[in-house]
Amino acid sequence: MDDYVIGVLSNIGVISFIALSAYLLLLTGEISFGQQAFFAIGAYAAGIATALWGWPLAAGLAWGAATGAAAAILVGVPTLRLHGLYFAIATLAFAEMVRLLFELFSYQVVVDGEFIGPNGADGFRGIRYIFENDIGPLRFLLVIYGLLAATLAAFMLIERSRLGIIFRMIGEDEVLAETNGIAVARHKVLAAGLAGAVAGIGGGLYAHLTTYVEPRIFDVMLGVHSLAYGLIGGLGTAFGPLLGVLIDIGLLESIRMFAGYRMIIFGGLVALLLIVRPRGLLDEIAVHRIRKAWPRILAAGERQTLHLRRPQ
Amino acid sequence: MIDFVQTTIDGVMVGASYGLLALGFTLIFGVMRRLNLSYGPSIMVGAYLGTLLYVQHGASPVAVAAMTVAGAALAGIYVERLCFAPMAVGAGVASMVSSFAIWMQLEQAAVLVLPRHTYPFPPLATGAPLMLGPFQLRIDHLIMLISALGMSLCVQLMLYRSRFGLALRAIIGNPVAAHLVGIDVRSAILTAFAVASAIGGFAGYLVLAADQQVTPMFGMWATFKGLVAMMIGGLGSTPGAILGGIVLGVVEAHGQWYFGPQVRELVAYLLLFGFLVFRPGGILGEPPTRSVIDRRSM
Repeated sequence: MDDYVIGVLSNIGVISFIALSAYLLLLTGEISFGQQAFFAIGAYAAGIATALWGWPLAAGLAWGAATGAAAAILVGVPTLRLHGLYFAIATLAFAEMVRLLFELFSYQVVVDGEFIGPNGADGFRGIRYIFENDIGPLRFLLVIYGLLAATLAAFMLIERSRLGIIFRMIGEDEVLAETNGIAVARHKVLAAGLAGAVAGIGGGLYAHLTTYVEPRIFDVMLGVHSLAYGLIGGLGTAFGPLLGVLIDIGLLESIRMFAGYRMIIFGGLVALLLIVRPRGLLDEIAVHRIRKAWPRILAAGERQTLHLRRPQ
Repeated sequence: MIDFVQTTIDGVMVGASYGLLALGFTLIFGVMRRLNLSYGPSIMVGAYLGTLLYVQHGASPVAVAAMTVAGAALAGIYVERLCFAPMAVGAGVASMVSSFAIWMQLEQAAVLVLPRHTYPFPPLATGAPLMLGPFQLRIDHLIMLISALGMSLCVQLMLYRSRFGLALRAIIGNPVAAHLVGIDVRSAILTAFAVASAIGGFAGYLVLAADQQVTPMFGMWATFKGLVAMMIGGLGSTPGAILGGIVLGVVEAHGQWYFGPQVRELVAYLLLFGFLVFRPGGILGEPPTRSVIDRRSM
């Protein structure tokens, strides 16, 4: 594979994490404009761990996931009692605060005779772990997709478990879920924490992939895009957000024929698609039909006791 | 002390433009209960058409203003037809994401027509600032404040003194019941959308005439400033929108004066976050209940 293809694939893999993060909250019925905050926190935390503290990559990524989850839980507790637009704007405000704080955040250490570390608006250079340890682009691609596959497997397990049904139940009707004895607040904070961890892993991978991060990458555009991916690809399965990322980055950003007109075509197509399918390409009904048509998965599909219908 | 008052005055003036942006936003959100992320980009389309007229034909400020308002209203109608009118009742999130996709589309279209990063925008008033004792008052800022207050009054009168306003309030209360008593809900919503985008276009014109330049980033700026001012003032409240804008402007001006430009934005978002956590209804809005902001309709 040439470097360009590897680069595009790596990008798709990394952005898929933040798309999955926004998707998990969408399942519980919450719209977040702020998942980029946990992506940013994961990126900085993992970068600091490997570049400044000399941690191995796995520990750095785990640290990025942990800080992302911790931040998401911390902000989730006061905001998750808000609903709809109120919650969406609160996450937006939080994420912008995080971005602006990173513009003021400076923490530099001398490593091998030069200053490295976050330096305010100038960003964080020198996250060179994969070069110093001779991990080529192809091997790092495998690392990204290995982790993505593990995350997807975890999503599949959650969606087939009682927890996944509870998440969707809260997303469908919170009051009804509560009257059925579900601890709504606790489960929403749990979903926010998991989403924060997923975004944190993605951020850590992103920092090591690009070797350089700066606060302005993590602006609200990234957050709204990651939200849109789930809605374009479909909310019926965790493959939906991945499909959304694949369509946007894989198809449009990478095919140079569209340069200059990409957003005119893409924007119009997305608007038309959402008229026909307001819950995306792989919505609940599509997923249900695929499961029925695919006998091998049928056995697993029947265990789904979910109420599948289009919202009216 | 003089600096403090001057900073406050500057904040109120800039805040008036935030308030005007919030006014259009709150009208759309109040009627639709849906978020139109393309609100700012629609205004930018109007502004780009205005500046095109100015750069290529040397049009007068009045013509530029008319073009900006008309362009914003037209773009608003386009957004409504594509992202809001065809959506089913429960598909509010789809409407929002769709309006985001159209935002990207409008922004790229604007860049294709006028590819440079900044374009000049005709100033509204170039005279020396008024002096009130030791305090300065820019004339274009004064026009901004007066327009904001006047426009807010007009919207209030339209909502509470006209048949169209009555129809809108009926739709806000219950769209199905409004339809049953013979209100043409779809066309009323379209009109409200066009009016709101035109108000936004007017606000955008005043801001850009004070800045004397326009960039493609203006769409995003207008959407988020309007959104923040609307939330601080209280969703669905017309006086609240102006008040929220002014509070935002004053807080930003003082944040910048004491801590520098990087902190300006930070205090604005801190204020917003604080309001949402401790007083989600904003200054004048009603506190949200699950039925008011039903997550299905959002």
